[in-house]
Amino acid sequence: MAGTAAVPRSLYARLFQRPDPASLAPVAKVAVYTVLVFWALVCIGPLYWVLITSFKQPITVDGGPYYFPFIDFQPTLDAWTYLFVEVGRDTVRPYVNSVIIALAATFAAVFIGALAAYALVRIRFQVKIAAIVIFLTLLVATIVAVAAFRVPWTIAAAAAIALFVLFLSTASRRFKGALGNADIEFWIISNRIMPPIVAVLPIYLMFQQFHLLDTHIALIATYTAVNLPIVVWLMRDFFAGIPIEIEESAQVDGCGKFRTFFVIVMPLARSGLAATFMLVLILCWNEYLLALFLSNANAQTMPILVSAQNGTRGPQWWYMSALIVIMVAPVIVIAVALQKHIARGILLGAVKG
Amino acid sequence: MAIATTLPVAARAGNGFGDWAERHSGRIMVLPAVLIVLAFAVFPLIISAYLSVSRFALAPGGYKLSFIGAFNFRRLLVGQQQYHFLGTFSAFGPLEWGVAVLAAAALLYWLYSYLISGKLRPMGLVGRLISAGLGFGVVLLTLATIVAGGFPGSLMTTLVYVFVGVSIQFSIGLALALLCAQPIRARNWFRVIFFIPLMVTPVGIAYTFRMLADMEKGPLAPLRFALHLGEFAWATDPWSARLVVLLGDTWQWTPFMFIVLLAAVEARPHEQIEAAKIDGAGPFQIFRHVTWPAIAPVAATVVLIRLIEAFKIVDLPNVLTNGGPGLATESMTLHAFIAWRTQDLGGSAALGYILLFVSTVTCVSFFNFGVARARRYQ
Amino acid sequence: MKMRNLMGGLAALLLTSAWGTVAHAGMYDGVTVNIMTFTGPQIAEPLQRHAPEFEKATGAKVNVITVPFSDLYTKLLTDWSSGTNSVDAGVFAPQWMGDYIAGGFLQDISGWVAKDKDLAWDDIGGFFRDFSAKYNGKTYLIPLDGDFHMIYYRTDVLKDAGLAAPLTWDDYVAVAKALNGKDMNGDGTPDYGSCISKKRNAQAFWFITSVAGGYIQSMGTGQGFFFDPRDMKPLVNNEAFAKALAVYNETTKYGPPNEINLDVGDTRGLFVSGRCALAMDWGDIGPLAVDPASSKVVDKVGAAVLPGSKEVLNRDTGKLEACTAATCPYAIDGVNHAPFASFGGWSGGINANSPDKVKEAAYAFLSYVSAPAQSNVDVTIGKTGFNPYRTSQFKDLGPWLKSGMSEAAAKNYLGAIQDSLNSPNMILDLRITQNQKYQQVVEDEAVSRFLAGEIDAAAAMKAIEDGWNELNDQIGKDDQLAVYRASLGVQK
Repeated sequence: MAGTAAVPRSLYARLFQRPDPASLAPVAKVAVYTVLVFWALVCIGPLYWVLITSFKQPITVDGGPYYFPFIDFQPTLDAWTYLFVEVGRDTVRPYVNSVIIALAATFAAVFIGALAAYALVRIRFQVKIAAIVIFLTLLVATIVAVAAFRVPWTIAAAAAIALFVLFLSTASRRFKGALGNADIEFWIISNRIMPPIVAVLPIYLMFQQFHLLDTHIALIATYTAVNLPIVVWLMRDFFAGIPIEIEESAQVDGCGKFRTFFVIVMPLARSGLAATFMLVLILCWNEYLLALFLSNANAQTMPILVSAQNGTRGPQWWYMSALIVIMVAPVIVIAVALQKHIARGILLGAVKG
Repeated sequence: MAIATTLPVAARAGNGFGDWAERHSGRIMVLPAVLIVLAFAVFPLIISAYLSVSRFALAPGGYKLSFIGAFNFRRLLVGQQQYHFLGTFSAFGPLEWGVAVLAAAALLYWLYSYLISGKLRPMGLVGRLISAGLGFGVVLLTLATIVAGGFPGSLMTTLVYVFVGVSIQFSIGLALALLCAQPIRARNWFRVIFFIPLMVTPVGIAYTFRMLADMEKGPLAPLRFALHLGEFAWATDPWSARLVVLLGDTWQWTPFMFIVLLAAVEARPHEQIEAAKIDGAGPFQIFRHVTWPAIAPVAATVVLIRLIEAFKIVDLPNVLTNGGPGLATESMTLHAFIAWRTQDLGGSAALGYILLFVSTVTCVSFFNFGVARARRYQ
Repeated sequence: MKMRNLMGGLAALLLTSAWGTVAHAGMYDGVTVNIMTFTGPQIAEPLQRHAPEFEKATGAKVNVITVPFSDLYTKLLTDWSSGTNSVDAGVFAPQWMGDYIAGGFLQDISGWVAKDKDLAWDDIGGFFRDFSAKYNGKTYLIPLDGDFHMIYYRTDVLKDAGLAAPLTWDDYVAVAKALNGKDMNGDGTPDYGSCISKKRNAQAFWFITSVAGGYIQSMGTGQGFFFDPRDMKPLVNNEAFAKALAVYNETTKYGPPNEINLDVGDTRGLFVSGRCALAMDWGDIGPLAVDPASSKVVDKVGAAVLPGSKEVLNRDTGKLEACTAATCPYAIDGVNHAPFASFGGWSGGINANSPDKVKEAAYAFLSYVSAPAQSNVDVTIGKTGFNPYRTSQFKDLGPWLKSGMSEAAAKNYLGAIQDSLNSPNMILDLRITQNQKYQQVVEDEAVSRFLAGEIDAAAAMKAIEDGWNELNDQIGKDDQLAVYRASLGVQK
């Protein structure tokens, strides 16, 4: 085919065979582009609809499908002026809250998770099963004491800690079984399986005890906790992929483990950090259920505001669309900026999984 | 997941704080994560366990919880709410009996082969028994509620969302990744555009799809007459309603599959592909012998991640149909959410626990039998 | 010095006497009241608008906290039952009152109301005054809004077909059948005879009550609708309810194809964009229909009292029997109407566990919003979500005409509301303990499965009856009976 001198190719060959090994046959090229462009339209289409709905009047929305501003229908800024002028305070506040909470939680989760992942990869742990069993038993006993028998929680906690230390030294001499790194990893990661609805009310009660309801701290802490498993999962394999010789030579040079981690290892795992950061940021930015329970007015976040547009008059599509647009826009911008890192990062994290 | 070689513990003499920190560096590094998980996962699990065996009632001064044992669980599995959770059963015909017997035989054979494999371990046996038991239960439920013509409950609906949804998303994501890995221009543009659906908040996606699926004023309304669907309303038929939920779910999560699989496909060893092409291999053979082994571990992991998240689906069925028509689109989280909204905290916690059990068994089974096998390609 | 203070105080008193009850300028300085309701603009907008006025007059800062509508009940309950008490007052549905009072969360405001002249308590419609705001004889809520179902019809379409507004449910079905398929908004596509919301977990359990009302209750509000107040027997498994289910189901044939997935926002939108001949809704369609930004049927809308029935249930036999002067004392032209005050009308309640000063300030604010000077204007503005509930709101057509209604439309709309409000046979929405489980869980589920064809009418009625009996047993039948009778004002 290619390279043969001056033999005219048949129509069939011109259409269906590759002109050279590094590119596609014309028919194949058309087919591939068609499918890809089609799916691109599928991805963008709904968002386009959302965008134009934010410029429609209620009568235009209810009256039937109108597709093109200025051609099909008269666009209006009513929804936008309502959201940003009339109730501006109630739109900007959740937005700022979302930004603060998502960023803070993401940084915290990535930091704590990366630290833990590094430790789980480089340092050998042996956790005695006896210790775990005793711990859990005492935890349950403490909770029962506080809930059912109204023992003040400080006393119960102190007693539990004392008993724990006491039992630990005796039991650990008797039972030698221990859990290693893989088990600890699995335990941390498996917490992702837990449906949030199971944990929501107890977390609410916990924050209520500390008078932290409807504060940023509550949501930041909760989001950090919920997303730690993902960070540990993804970062673990980055760190495993870094050649250990680099760190060993650093140690020989006198670097402690912490310095090695921050100065040498983290920069090497840049793309993984970027990918994990982006993923966790998206998860925090878009989270609904926990924010619903733990916030009222002060810490209200954007997903709640979007959902709240469904009132007694039915969903107010025009307001909802405008809110969705301002929610999605910054995330798209960040994603475009980081997109190279994301793909590479998620891949490497997923390979060893 | 073998641990890479560990660093030697620095044999530091010295009693300064820095040296103490160095000796215990492992524990210090891991401690924050462990504490947080304890506080936000283990503690709530214990409280929820207590809630699931009690009844919540308002009382002067606040509320009171009364212990009622396994009542909530019994009500869901064999009691008054069985039609809601498991579904309405129809009688087994010969087809159903045949399939049930076949499934039982297959599972028993699988267990038997493990018993005689020589690698028997008690934990392994227990795990396999649980997996087999749950698997057989699901088969029976499917036969009784879907095949034989009954009505599936929230458990079956959730499983349909999970398995059918993840399969569709994986297939489309893989197809897109393979196409995008071809020598085409603008690959980066496609990558970014395909990634966008993942970034919209699930509640927003749910409302967006409700708008799109509206056959009166949504953008697809003219299609209805063009395709002569006329009087058909997707929201009145259980399966079409579930299909619309799946469409929304697919739109949202296919990008995730696509991004990861594309990176995996791009990381294939090029020399092998070149060699195969020179040997005259067609595209299917290349896929089977070069591409698939290269991406199998990644594919398995990404499916596992997606499985874990898929069990929690709630926003789409809630917003699109509120769980209707009848109970057709209600997932387990939605079922628990509705129960919670009407103060049935015990029932809600019981549902949450059953969901946790089912998703844990499914994901761990998939990990042990799917991911591990895929890793063998490495 | 003293004289100046006196003059200042007097001036302030005079200035604020337009609304001031016992309040005066600076009285609540430093006090912050947190009021929770759902995200607006309905209900939240007037509260947010009146908050600065109130602050200027009394110094109390009012924070309006809004949460998604579907979560308002739970948010209030969680906040109050867990002892968090970050919410001092709420504007919510009176139907939830039973649960909040059971936990001791609502403040008894009977004393304040009795002394409050500016509230014009007697101007409030009898039903809301005597049933909606009270529980066991004591007042707990200040009504801000009147909620009940009515039917709306296209005056032009019905006139062209020579049909009158339906008086019974059989009429309603006949009109819907006759008009279904006609083009009512001039776009060439066939439109629908009747649009009633039937979506699961939305408002269907209220609409079925509206349909069944005229068949089951005829002797006045105190006779009760959901249960028999003599023995707490559910009144859902009988010929009357079967007829209601049949009617509710049949209207589906003359409505949009996806009617069982439409909630009230969707059906309302369909009606005001001209696609339905008949619709059932709360009072919102009236002002919405005259708003050119949302309506294609300006001045073509009529409203009427909920259709009734010529037969009524005999509670001892479970059978329907024809209406007579004895069995249907409130029948109009032989038809027994039972307007249903579904949901109850947004009202303000105060957290009993808030500090005293905050409670007083909260009461003063709610009283201010409800006072005729503010309320009569608010109910004419569609955006507020407040529907008429005071007698004075029907007398003066001025604000209505100013809002854009023609005189005929205003008279017709207000007439229908007045007929409903003044009916002695209004149905009080269920407000026993944990009524949500009865209605939203048991009843809504059964009705939804019935509409989807999963079960037939007999099975649906049995499911509701069994479910309600089980709940009664769980919660305590005698307790529930006492609560039910207390809500109906039935004396022992």
